[in-house]
Formats: sequence, structure tokens, C-alpha cells
Amino acid sequence: MFALGVFLACVLAGVGLFFIPAFIIRPFRYQAPRSLGLAMSIAQHSPWWTLAAAAAALLLTLFLWRGSLLWQRVVLALGMVLVAGAATMARIDYFEWMFHPVASPGFTAASDSNLGDSEMVMAVRFGSENRAYPIREMAYHHVVNDSVAGTPIVVTY
Amino acid sequence: MNGRVLNFRLAGINNQNFLMRDRETGTWWQQVTGKAVSGPLIGASLDLVSTDELTFGLWKSESPGGQVLAPVARDAKEYDSDWEPKVAKMKVVVSFPENGMKDRDVVMGVESGTASRAYPLDSILKQSPIQDRVGGTPVLLVTGPDGKSVRAFVSELNGKELEFFKPTQSANWGLIDSAGSEWNFRGCAISGSMVGKCLEPIAVLKDYWFDWRNYHPDTTVYRH
Repeated sequence: MFALGVFLACVLAGVGLFFIPAFIIRPFRYQAPRSLGLAMSIAQHSPWWTLAAAAAALLLTLFLWRGSLLWQRVVLALGMVLVAGAATMARIDYFEWMFHPVASPGFTAASDSNLGDSEMVMAVRFGSENRAYPIREMAYHHVVNDSVAGTPIVVTY
Repeated sequence: MNGRVLNFRLAGINNQNFLMRDRETGTWWQQVTGKAVSGPLIGASLDLVSTDELTFGLWKSESPGGQVLAPVARDAKEYDSDWEPKVAKMKVVVSFPENGMKDRDVVMGVESGTASRAYPLDSILKQSPIQDRVGGTPVLLVTGPDGKSVRAFVSELNGKELEFFKPTQSANWGLIDSAGSEWNFRGCAISGSMVGKCLEPIAVLKDYWFDWRNYHPDTTVYRH
């Protein structure tokens, strides 16, 4: 039973390490500076710590499985799903599920583009290179990593 | 940063302004300021690239031979040119009902030295050209021939402040100074004694009042 308690503590820790930052950093919610700072610090380390918690939980599950009663096995299985889920989510930029990133920006010559003349664009110039990023695209993707005339830039909206 | 190229991912949100993280160090950066707010590079600032927000038509005429970001095929159905009125209705989580401003009023924010000033976009569109001062720097804000883009310039050349007007007789877009010289939307004189000379552009940030005010607590507001 003690070992089961330790198992549950690992699950709780793993899930907490993912959920605390996820709860604080939510859209349409106010972020106070200190709790935001805490959320970002936890999120910084959670990929490894959640993995450690999941690994510990897995070891305990393997150790305890044989001698466990049915209800204990249910607890072990559910707990593993939760902590493994947390360890996975801690490594995913899930905000990008809502706003897909641009893996590799492609460009069209201005004269070949179908974009309407009244559409707004964000424009940059480096040397003789002129590039425009339509706002209708940037308002969705939010972040585009690019390089113009050798200068690496990140375009954000 | 320090000679290392960083690749950024959308990572979160902080009071309606997004946070991004670089894949190389995992540092968190605030979008509107370009500053690292947590992680290994905390305190660092990304260099702001001077950008323009203008219509595609105007951009093409000023920059022929340019390239446009192509749509990403699988996401093209998500693009919405009409997003502004929808977002204008969204609630805010930090609120600054001051100076007669409403949180989702769109402003063009200008910084000069330590001073910052917000110009309601509506005012600029109605009153262009606007001449004002931000922290002692004389600025000119002007709407473009497309009726939608806004640029700001230091309205001073060779230590002398210049005054700008819309020419009254013409129905087309125009900008003239008190000596009658014509200037274009790039801030360059195209006729008169200063032909070929250009005003220095100043960065403007198009933002909602609540966000501009959140990051510029000492900002003043242009109210005319």
C-alpha cells in the first residue's frame, strides 16, 4: 500500500507539473506577473520532470502489478495513462493546435499573387529584397520564422 | 541572439498578447515587446525590424519585384480577412478605461526616447497629416494613398522643423510643406528645393489601447 501511495504521488506530481502552467497560461484569463513567472519556470523544467515521474510510476507499476488486486490494477493503469499523458503534453506546443505553424514559408512573386489589392500586409525590406506577409495569414499563424537577404527574422502578429 | 539563429514557436498567452519560445534555448519571449521574460536568455531583447503595414496594392506599387508569403494550403480556409470586427468584440482581461479610451480602440503607438504616445487610428484617418511631438521629437503621422496605411516620420531635416499640409485643390493624395514642395508617402521630397531628401521614419505599433497602455504605463494620448 505504501508503494501504491508513492505511485499516486508520482502521478500527482507529473500531472501537476503539466497542469499548473497550462491552467495559468490560458486565453481570456488574467495572468498576474508572479504566477506567470511561476508557470513559465515550471514549464521550462516539466518536460524532464514529468518524464521522470512517468518513469518512476512505470517502475512501480511493473513492480506492483503481479501482487495487486483488481482495483489496485485499475488505479495503476489509470494513473499510468494520466502521468504518461502529462509527460507527453509537457513536450507539445499545444497552442499550435489552434494556430498551425508555418513549417517552411513559401513565397510568390507579387505579380503572381492572387491577394486582393486592399488586403493589408506587413512589409519588410533588407537591401534590395522586399517581402510582404499578408495580415490575413499572420493573424492565423501568428509566428513565421524566415530569412531575408541572409538576415534571420521572426515575423509575429 | 549572440550569433545564434533562434526558431520560434507559439507557446502561450499573457493577458491577450502571445508568448513564444525559441526551440534552441526554450526561452519565453513576449510578442509585443520582443523581450525574453523567462528562461536561459531572460532579459534579452530581439532587435525590432522596421516594418510597414499597408495595402498589398500600395506595397506592390512601391516595391515592385517583391515577394509575398504564400498561403499554407491546408490552413487557407482558416484565413479570415474579416477578423478585426470579430476580435473587437472579444473581452479583455486587463482594462484601462482612462483618457476617454476604450480597451479595444485601435491606436498607433509611437515611442521616442522614453516617451510614448498613442494616436487613435480614427483620428489619424480623419485628420491626416497630423503634426505632434513625442517626448520633444516633432513627428508627422500621415495616411497613405490607400486610405488605410499610416506612417510616422520625424518632421525635421537638417535641424529645421518642417510643416506639412494636405493640398486643398487636389482630390488625390498629396503632401506638401510650407514652401510648397511635394512629398510622397515614403517621406521623400519629390519637388522643390529639398527634392530627393527623405524624412527619418519612426516605428509605429498598431495595437489595441489596452495592450499599448499595459506595456507603456506612462503613455500619453493624442486627443484632438
